[in-house]
Amino acid sequence: MSPNFKKALEGIVVCDFSWVGAGPITTNVLGQCGAEIIKIESMTRPDILRKGGPFKDGNSEGLERSGYFANRNPNKKCISLNMSHPKAREVAVRLIKKSDIIINNFRVGQMEKWRLGWEDIKEMNPGIIYVTMSLQGESGPHKSYMGFGVNLNALCGLTDQAAFPGQPPFGTGTNYTDHVMVPSHTLFGIMAALIKREKTGKGQTVAVSQLESAISMKPTDAMAYACNNETLPPLGYGDPNAAPHGVYTTLGYRKWIAIAVFSEEEWLMFKKVMGYPAWAEDEKFSTLAKRKANEESLNANIEAWTKDKYADQLMKELLRHDVKAATVNDARAAVDDDQMRERGFWAYLNHPVVGSTLYNRAPIVFSKTPIEMKTAAPLLGEHTKEVLSGMLGYSESEIEALAKEDVLT
Amino acid sequence: MALDITKDQGKEVFLKLCKDADILLESFAPGYLDSLGLSYNRLSAVNPKLVQTAITPFGQFGPYAQYPGCDLTCSALGGFLFLAGVDNEKPVRACDNQAYRMAEAYAAVGSSIALLFAKRTGVGQFVDVSCMESTGMALENAAQYWDLEGANRRGRGNEAGSATVHPCKDGYIAIVAIMGKNKPMFDSFIKWMKDENVEEWEAFQDPRWIEPNFRRSAEGNAIFARVFERFAMQHSKLSLYEKGQAQRVAISPVSNGKDLLENPQLKHREFWKTLRHSNLGGDVTYPGAPYEFGELEWRLGNPAPTLGQHSSEILSSLGYSQKEIDLLAKEGIVYVA
Repeated sequence: MSPNFKKALEGIVVCDFSWVGAGPITTNVLGQCGAEIIKIESMTRPDILRKGGPFKDGNSEGLERSGYFANRNPNKKCISLNMSHPKAREVAVRLIKKSDIIINNFRVGQMEKWRLGWEDIKEMNPGIIYVTMSLQGESGPHKSYMGFGVNLNALCGLTDQAAFPGQPPFGTGTNYTDHVMVPSHTLFGIMAALIKREKTGKGQTVAVSQLESAISMKPTDAMAYACNNETLPPLGYGDPNAAPHGVYTTLGYRKWIAIAVFSEEEWLMFKKVMGYPAWAEDEKFSTLAKRKANEESLNANIEAWTKDKYADQLMKELLRHDVKAATVNDARAAVDDDQMRERGFWAYLNHPVVGSTLYNRAPIVFSKTPIEMKTAAPLLGEHTKEVLSGMLGYSESEIEALAKEDVLT
Repeated sequence: MALDITKDQGKEVFLKLCKDADILLESFAPGYLDSLGLSYNRLSAVNPKLVQTAITPFGQFGPYAQYPGCDLTCSALGGFLFLAGVDNEKPVRACDNQAYRMAEAYAAVGSSIALLFAKRTGVGQFVDVSCMESTGMALENAAQYWDLEGANRRGRGNEAGSATVHPCKDGYIAIVAIMGKNKPMFDSFIKWMKDENVEEWEAFQDPRWIEPNFRRSAEGNAIFARVFERFAMQHSKLSLYEKGQAQRVAISPVSNGKDLLENPQLKHREFWKTLRHSNLGGDVTYPGAPYEFGELEWRLGNPAPTLGQHSSEILSSLGYSQKEIDLLAKEGIVYVA
């Protein structure tokens, strides 16, 4: 192996049939770490996220203005390949033979229809890692059920406790499972298979169940019921091990401060920052258990103190006294945040249609093989010629012939 | 292994452990190991292949690095918490400390990427994972809404029938009957309502339902609540789930712990595993594998160890004699259970 690797996954090639959410986020991380991602789309079947908002300046024309799509697909190359054309398979096969990983999140059976199932592919490339991402696994009575992130959030149990007492559950307000739970487990599975391959030289299948990987990141409700027949109550913004633990109104439009007090030392320091108000000396707030029992009145007293203050100033003052506190940042504030900026979490990349727009890197800082944010999300088919003539060894005239027959649309 | 690494002899044991380790995973305050003379440079001199992964609230550097943090404050600063609410409502928290879980997940990913690199090149490295930053992975398209359209979005949940939660007989269900202007998708929902002979089902035939703005309106929300919830309140979440899915409607139960244990799909797949914990005097139920490999075998492993359960075993594998171990224990360098 070359000792001159500049990026952790340099030399790894990914044949990427995945689309929409969890799949592209998975290959995004691989690409940031130096893998070569070849994303396969076609004009007849573009990644539907290209039509998902937001759009540059709110203009949704065409397929190249979506920020939703862009942030999942930087550093990738995109080839346009019309898989419904019988000649497309041969192009895919050439790519598969050069690839270390092939990934899709189609319904079970789609790849087999193209004769690109595991049984076919392991014959042509025995070293390949074959990744599938079904919603609920490839067997069982609900294996064909459909669902979006919001459905999966609810089904896996993430939504239930994300509620204020007496109100319907709300959840995270996003398709959370698609963004973290599923891609991170898929990535870990891929890496385990790649590390194994270092020893054996052999590839293998990695079959992710989105439901099962989601549950693995929030198992407490089921574990509690199995142990004690206990159904966990709605959390609101509280925590069983801290009081106060909440979100309090401050000055400004939708501005709140989050404050969390776990220990008695922190409670003392918190009282000090508040200037030792009389209410805080009441016996009913003297221990964590008592503060928990009287949380409503505790929170009302704290909010009376926060509501005429600025959240950012309050946060600094509380942190200076070792009390855990934070402004509840909206996206703008998170993008402007000093910590996120200094760590290089955000990147602006230039794109031929929308210009310089915002991306984020994976939340991993490597000391020797840094993540690189190089190129903006590809235009549909931007690299078809480059990949076919370079990596796949097609001649100019062969490419023209394929294009004429609508294989590359 | 319970080991006091602030003492010189403890450091010696720790360095021996690092010599053959693939990964050192730690969550000390940034700079703590350096202050003990156990910096990554020191450890790397002992084992150049070592991958050291640190999980901290804000990361190893940056203006917040030394601040105290927790799940709630990391979620708040990263922009994740703000999304969990609509309009002017305060945000609500998801279960199981998701800022910590996200950081763990990405620490596992970062460690495994660095491990592959170390195996290929012989070069280990330091992997810095921040909880606050990890929550930035969960902003969906919120940062881009700000960047491209100058809007600060909040959570979904106020567009009737498109990612909304509704009460039913024994809890709640989540439904995505339509996304955007996808009429065929909504037609499946209408057919289901018709087949169930839902009172006033015809209301959904109004073409205005295809418009997201109508679904967001007070009128749209009121009709959906009246017609759909009146029906839903007569049925259990499992029954709505199975009936709706049979009609190709994206509906799912809002599961609680009991529902998950009784979920027919998870039962069929034997997802839940139990381990006997003799120290707790009972079985503990765990989630099973999140993925299936063709070759690799996933295992749940043994119950969590008791404090210092393996101190003695690990020390002898490092070449310490029983006498030396006893001495280390006596001097409080290690705790042997």
